[in-house]
Amino acid sequence: MDYGVSGTLAVHTADEEVSMSDITTVLGEGTVTVEFDESFYPKDAIYGAAYVFIDRCYVHLDRAGDKRVRVTLRAKSGKPADGEALAGELQNELLGQAWRLSIAAENRQLIESITSRALGGAAGPPGLDELLAMDIDEATAFDDPLGIAMSWEEKYKKKGAADEGADAPKADASASSDAAEPNAAGEKSS
Amino acid sequence: MIEVRFHEEFYDGFAIDEAVKLYAPYANFTLKREAGGFIVQVEGKPEDQGGADPSLVAAELMNYALGKTIERSRAAESAASETASAAPETASASPGEAA
Repeated sequence: MDYGVSGTLAVHTADEEVSMSDITTVLGEGTVTVEFDESFYPKDAIYGAAYVFIDRCYVHLDRAGDKRVRVTLRAKSGKPADGEALAGELQNELLGQAWRLSIAAENRQLIESITSRALGGAAGPPGLDELLAMDIDEATAFDDPLGIAMSWEEKYKKKGAADEGADAPKADASASSDAAEPNAAGEKSS
Repeated sequence: MIEVRFHEEFYDGFAIDEAVKLYAPYANFTLKREAGGFIVQVEGKPEDQGGADPSLVAAELMNYALGKTIERSRAAESAASETASAAPETASASPGEAA
Protein backbone atom coordinates (compact mmCIF):
# COMPACT_ATOMS: atom_id res chain seq x y z
CA MET A 1 0.00 0.00 0.00
CA ASP A 2 1.14 3.52 -0.67
CA TYR A 3 0.10 6.44 1.49
CA GLY A 4 2.80 8.73 0.16
CA VAL A 5 4.86 6.43 2.34
CA SER A 6 8.28 5.06 1.71
CA GLY A 7 9.73 2.02 3.47
CA THR A 8 8.19 -1.32 4.30
CA LEU A 9 4.66 0.07 4.11
CA ALA A 10 4.92 1.00 0.45
CA VAL A 11 3.74 -1.96 -1.66
CA HIS A 12 1.93 -0.20 -4.46
CA THR A 13 0.84 -2.48 -7.26
CA ALA A 14 -1.65 -1.13 -9.72
CA ASP A 15 -3.86 -3.97 -10.92
CA GLU A 16 -6.28 -1.93 -12.86
CA GLU A 17 -6.60 1.66 -13.88
CA VAL A 18 -9.98 3.14 -14.70
CA SER A 19 -10.32 6.68 -15.95
CA MET A 20 -13.63 8.52 -15.98
CA SER A 21 -13.20 12.01 -17.34
CA ASP A 22 -10.76 13.57 -14.89
CA ILE A 23 -11.14 10.95 -12.15
CA THR A 24 -8.54 8.21 -12.06
CA THR A 25 -9.00 5.13 -9.92
CA VAL A 26 -6.15 2.75 -9.19
CA LEU A 27 -6.98 -0.53 -7.48
CA GLY A 28 -4.01 -1.91 -5.57
CA GLU A 29 -3.46 -4.75 -3.10
CA GLY A 30 -6.00 -3.95 -0.43
CA THR A 31 -5.99 -0.29 -1.35
CA VAL A 32 -7.77 1.97 -3.76
CA THR A 33 -6.40 5.29 -4.93
CA VAL A 34 -8.63 7.93 -6.47
CA GLU A 35 -7.18 10.98 -8.18
CA PHE A 36 -9.28 13.90 -9.28
CA ASP A 37 -9.16 17.55 -10.20
CA GLU A 38 -9.62 19.73 -7.13
CA SER A 39 -11.29 22.49 -9.16
CA PHE A 40 -14.45 20.33 -9.22
CA TYR A 41 -14.41 19.53 -5.54
CA PRO A 42 -13.65 22.17 -2.91
CA LYS A 43 -11.29 21.25 -0.10
CA ASP A 44 -14.15 21.10 2.41
CA ALA A 45 -15.95 18.59 0.20
CA ILE A 46 -12.80 16.44 0.06
CA TYR A 47 -12.51 16.63 3.85
CA GLY A 48 -16.18 15.77 4.25
CA ALA A 49 -15.91 12.74 1.96
CA ALA A 50 -12.72 11.55 3.66
CA TYR A 51 -14.35 11.90 7.07
CA VAL A 52 -17.19 9.59 6.03
CA PHE A 53 -14.68 6.77 5.38
CA ILE A 54 -12.52 7.32 8.44
CA ASP A 55 -14.36 4.79 10.60
CA ARG A 56 -13.96 1.85 8.21
CA CYS A 57 -10.85 2.77 6.17
CA TYR A 58 -7.41 4.22 6.66
CA VAL A 59 -7.53 7.41 4.62
CA HIS A 60 -4.62 9.42 3.27
CA LEU A 61 -4.79 12.66 1.31
CA ASP A 62 -1.98 13.89 -0.89
CA ARG A 63 -1.33 16.09 -3.84
CA ALA A 64 -0.91 14.17 -7.07
CA GLY A 65 0.19 17.07 -9.19
CA ASP A 66 -0.88 20.53 -10.18
CA LYS A 67 -4.48 20.95 -8.97
CA ARG A 68 -4.89 17.20 -8.56
CA VAL A 69 -5.64 15.43 -5.32
CA ARG A 70 -4.98 11.81 -4.43
CA VAL A 71 -7.10 9.98 -1.88
CA THR A 72 -5.91 6.55 -0.76
CA LEU A 73 -8.25 4.20 1.08
CA ARG A 74 -7.43 0.91 2.80
CA ALA A 75 -10.12 -1.10 4.55
CA LYS A 76 -9.57 -1.53 8.30
CA SER A 77 -11.11 -4.95 8.61
CA GLY A 78 -8.13 -6.73 7.08
CA LYS A 79 -10.41 -8.52 4.64
CA PRO A 80 -9.83 -7.84 0.93
CA ALA A 81 -12.04 -4.84 0.31
CA ASP A 82 -14.10 -4.26 -2.79
CA GLY A 83 -11.92 -1.50 -4.19
CA GLU A 84 -14.27 -0.57 -6.99
CA ALA A 85 -17.16 -0.19 -4.56
CA LEU A 86 -15.03 1.96 -2.25
CA ALA A 87 -13.92 4.13 -5.15
CA GLY A 88 -17.50 4.53 -6.33
CA GLU A 89 -18.68 5.41 -2.85
CA LEU A 90 -15.91 7.96 -2.49
CA GLN A 91 -16.80 9.60 -5.79
CA ASN A 92 -20.49 9.74 -4.83
CA GLU A 93 -19.60 11.17 -1.45
CA LEU A 94 -17.38 13.81 -3.07
CA LEU A 95 -20.22 14.86 -5.34
CA GLY A 96 -22.72 14.87 -2.47
CA GLN A 97 -20.48 16.92 -0.23
CA ALA A 98 -19.72 19.44 -2.99
CA TRP A 99 -23.44 19.80 -3.73
CA ARG A 100 -24.25 20.20 -0.03
CA LEU A 101 -21.65 22.96 0.29
CA SER A 102 -23.08 24.71 -2.75
CA ILE A 103 -26.62 24.60 -1.30
CA ALA A 104 -25.38 25.84 2.08
CA ALA A 105 -23.60 28.76 0.40
CA GLU A 106 -26.71 29.67 -1.61
CA ASN A 107 -28.97 29.60 1.44
CA ARG A 108 -26.56 31.11 3.94
CA GLN A 109 -28.21 34.54 3.82
CA LEU A 110 -31.69 33.08 4.30
CA ILE A 111 -30.56 30.87 7.19
CA GLU A 112 -28.86 33.80 8.91
CA SER A 113 -31.95 35.97 8.44
CA ILE A 114 -34.27 33.32 9.93
CA THR A 115 -31.89 32.67 12.80
CA SER A 116 -31.53 36.34 13.66
CA ARG A 117 -35.33 36.80 13.55
CA ALA A 118 -35.81 33.80 15.82
CA LEU A 119 -33.23 35.14 18.25
CA GLY A 120 -34.81 38.59 18.09
CA GLY A 121 -38.23 37.10 18.90
CA ALA A 122 -36.79 35.10 21.76
CA ALA A 123 -35.44 38.28 23.29
CA GLY A 124 -39.05 39.18 24.33
CA PRO A 125 -40.96 42.48 24.29
CA PRO A 126 -39.07 45.79 24.53
CA GLY A 127 -38.20 47.03 27.99
CA LEU A 128 -39.22 50.36 29.58
CA ASP A 129 -35.98 52.06 28.60
CA GLU A 130 -36.45 50.95 24.99
CA LEU A 131 -40.07 52.15 24.99
CA LEU A 132 -39.02 55.51 26.40
CA ALA A 133 -36.30 55.79 23.80
CA MET A 134 -38.84 55.28 20.99
CA ASP A 135 -39.79 58.43 19.10
CA ILE A 136 -43.61 58.32 19.25
CA ASP A 137 -45.71 61.43 18.53
CA GLU A 138 -49.02 62.26 16.77
CA ALA A 139 -47.58 61.52 13.38
CA THR A 140 -45.92 58.22 14.28
CA ALA A 141 -48.53 56.91 16.73
CA PHE A 142 -50.47 53.88 15.58
CA ASP A 143 -53.98 54.16 14.14
CA ASP A 144 -56.91 53.01 16.29
CA PRO A 145 -59.74 52.26 13.84
CA LEU A 146 -61.59 50.01 16.35
CA GLY A 147 -61.37 52.55 19.14
CA ILE A 148 -59.47 50.17 21.42
CA ALA A 149 -57.51 52.99 23.01
CA MET A 150 -60.72 54.96 23.82
CA SER A 151 -62.37 54.81 27.25
CA TRP A 152 -65.78 53.07 27.58
CA GLU A 153 -67.54 56.29 28.52
CA GLU A 154 -65.97 58.14 25.65
CA LYS A 155 -67.00 55.44 23.25
CA TYR A 156 -70.57 54.67 24.47
CA LYS A 157 -71.82 57.75 26.45
CA LYS A 158 -73.10 59.73 23.51
CA LYS A 159 -74.55 56.66 21.87
CA GLY A 160 -76.42 55.79 25.11
CA ALA A 161 -77.70 59.35 25.49
CA ALA A 162 -78.87 59.30 21.90
CA ASP A 163 -80.67 55.99 22.51
CA GLU A 164 -82.39 57.40 25.61
CA GLY A 165 -83.48 60.44 23.60
CA ALA A 166 -84.79 58.18 20.86
CA ASP A 167 -86.70 55.98 23.35
CA ALA A 168 -88.44 58.92 25.05
CA PRO A 169 -90.62 60.03 22.11
CA LYS A 170 -91.62 56.39 21.54
CA ALA A 171 -92.76 56.11 25.15
CA ASP A 172 -94.70 59.33 24.82
CA ALA A 173 -96.30 58.10 21.65
CA SER A 174 -97.28 54.76 23.21
CA ALA A 175 -98.64 56.53 26.25
CA SER A 176 -100.77 58.78 24.10
CA SER A 177 -101.97 55.85 22.03
CA ASP A 178 -102.79 53.92 25.23
CA ALA A 179 -104.70 56.92 26.48
CA ALA A 180 -106.59 57.17 23.26
CA GLU A 181 -107.47 53.50 23.09
CA PRO A 182 -109.67 53.42 26.25
CA ASN A 183 -111.47 56.34 24.93
CA ALA A 184 -112.02 54.58 21.73
CA ALA A 185 -113.02 51.47 23.59
CA GLY A 186 -115.20 53.51 25.80
CA GLU A 187 -116.72 55.11 22.83
CA LYS A 188 -117.25 51.71 21.31
CA SER A 189 -118.64 50.22 24.52
CA SER A 190 -120.77 53.18 25.21
CA MET B 1 11.03 2.01 9.83
CA ILE B 2 7.93 3.48 8.24
CA GLU B 3 7.83 7.01 6.91
CA VAL B 4 4.52 8.78 6.45
CA ARG B 5 4.30 12.02 4.52
CA PHE B 6 1.58 14.55 5.28
CA HIS B 7 1.05 17.28 2.73
CA GLU B 8 0.82 20.68 4.40
CA GLU B 9 -2.19 21.68 2.30
CA PHE B 10 -4.25 18.83 3.72
CA TYR B 11 -2.86 18.27 7.20
CA ASP B 12 -2.57 20.62 10.14
CA GLY B 13 0.78 20.56 11.95
CA PHE B 14 -0.89 20.76 15.35
CA ALA B 15 -3.10 17.79 14.49
CA ILE B 16 -0.03 15.74 13.56
CA ASP B 17 1.68 16.73 16.81
CA GLU B 18 -1.38 15.67 18.76
CA ALA B 19 -1.57 12.35 16.92
CA VAL B 20 2.10 11.64 17.63
CA LYS B 21 1.59 12.38 21.34
CA LEU B 22 -1.44 10.11 21.43
CA TYR B 23 0.35 7.16 19.83
CA ALA B 24 3.71 7.70 21.54
CA PRO B 25 3.16 4.77 23.96
CA TYR B 26 2.92 2.32 21.04
CA ALA B 27 5.88 3.31 18.83
CA ASN B 28 8.83 5.69 18.54
CA PHE B 29 8.27 8.70 16.33
CA THR B 30 10.56 11.19 14.64
CA LEU B 31 9.04 14.34 13.17
CA LYS B 32 10.60 16.27 10.31
CA ARG B 33 9.50 19.35 8.46
CA GLU B 34 10.11 19.37 4.72
CA ALA B 35 9.18 21.79 2.00
CA GLY B 36 5.50 21.12 1.30
CA GLY B 37 4.83 18.77 4.16
CA PHE B 38 5.53 16.97 7.39
CA ILE B 39 7.35 13.67 7.66
CA VAL B 40 6.69 11.26 10.52
CA GLN B 41 9.01 8.28 10.92
CA VAL B 42 7.54 5.40 12.87
CA GLU B 43 9.75 2.80 14.51
CA GLY B 44 8.48 -0.21 16.42
CA LYS B 45 8.84 -0.56 20.16
CA PRO B 46 9.39 -3.86 21.96
CA GLU B 47 6.11 -5.47 22.96
CA ASP B 48 7.08 -5.54 26.64
CA GLN B 49 7.27 -1.73 26.47
CA GLY B 50 3.75 -1.52 25.06
CA GLY B 51 4.84 -1.53 21.43
CA ALA B 52 2.43 -2.43 18.63
CA ASP B 53 2.69 -3.23 14.92
CA PRO B 54 4.32 -0.10 13.44
CA SER B 55 2.31 -0.30 10.21
CA LEU B 56 -0.92 -0.36 12.22
CA VAL B 57 0.27 2.49 14.43
CA ALA B 58 1.26 4.51 11.34
CA ALA B 59 -2.14 3.92 9.73
CA GLU B 60 -4.05 4.83 12.90
CA LEU B 61 -1.89 7.92 13.37
CA MET B 62 -2.65 8.94 9.80
CA ASN B 63 -6.40 8.66 10.39
CA TYR B 64 -6.24 10.49 13.69
CA ALA B 65 -4.22 13.32 12.13
CA LEU B 66 -6.73 13.64 9.28
CA GLY B 67 -9.73 13.57 11.62
CA LYS B 68 -8.19 16.16 13.89
CA THR B 69 -7.28 18.35 10.91
CA ILE B 70 -10.88 18.25 9.66
CA GLU B 71 -12.27 19.03 13.11
CA ARG B 72 -9.87 21.95 13.53
CA SER B 73 -10.69 23.22 10.05
CA ARG B 74 -14.43 23.14 10.81
CA ALA B 75 -13.97 24.77 14.20
CA ALA B 76 -11.96 27.57 12.61
CA GLU B 77 -14.58 27.98 9.89
CA SER B 78 -17.49 28.22 12.35
CA ALA B 79 -15.54 30.69 14.50
CA ALA B 80 -14.91 32.84 11.42
CA SER B 81 -18.60 32.78 10.42
CA GLU B 82 -19.64 33.71 13.98
CA THR B 83 -17.24 36.65 13.89
CA ALA B 84 -18.61 37.73 10.51
CA SER B 85 -22.23 37.56 11.70
CA ALA B 86 -21.38 39.42 14.93
CA ALA B 87 -19.64 42.25 13.07
CA PRO B 88 -22.82 43.91 11.63
CA GLU B 89 -24.46 43.86 15.09
CA THR B 90 -21.48 45.70 16.53
CA ALA B 91 -21.60 48.20 13.68
CA SER B 92 -25.34 48.83 14.15
CA ALA B 93 -24.98 49.07 17.92
CA SER B 94 -22.27 51.71 17.88
CA PRO B 95 -24.42 54.58 16.48
CA GLY B 96 -27.02 53.94 19.18
CA GLU B 97 -24.37 53.93 21.83
CA ALA B 98 -22.98 57.18 20.48
CA ALA B 99 -26.48 58.70 20.52
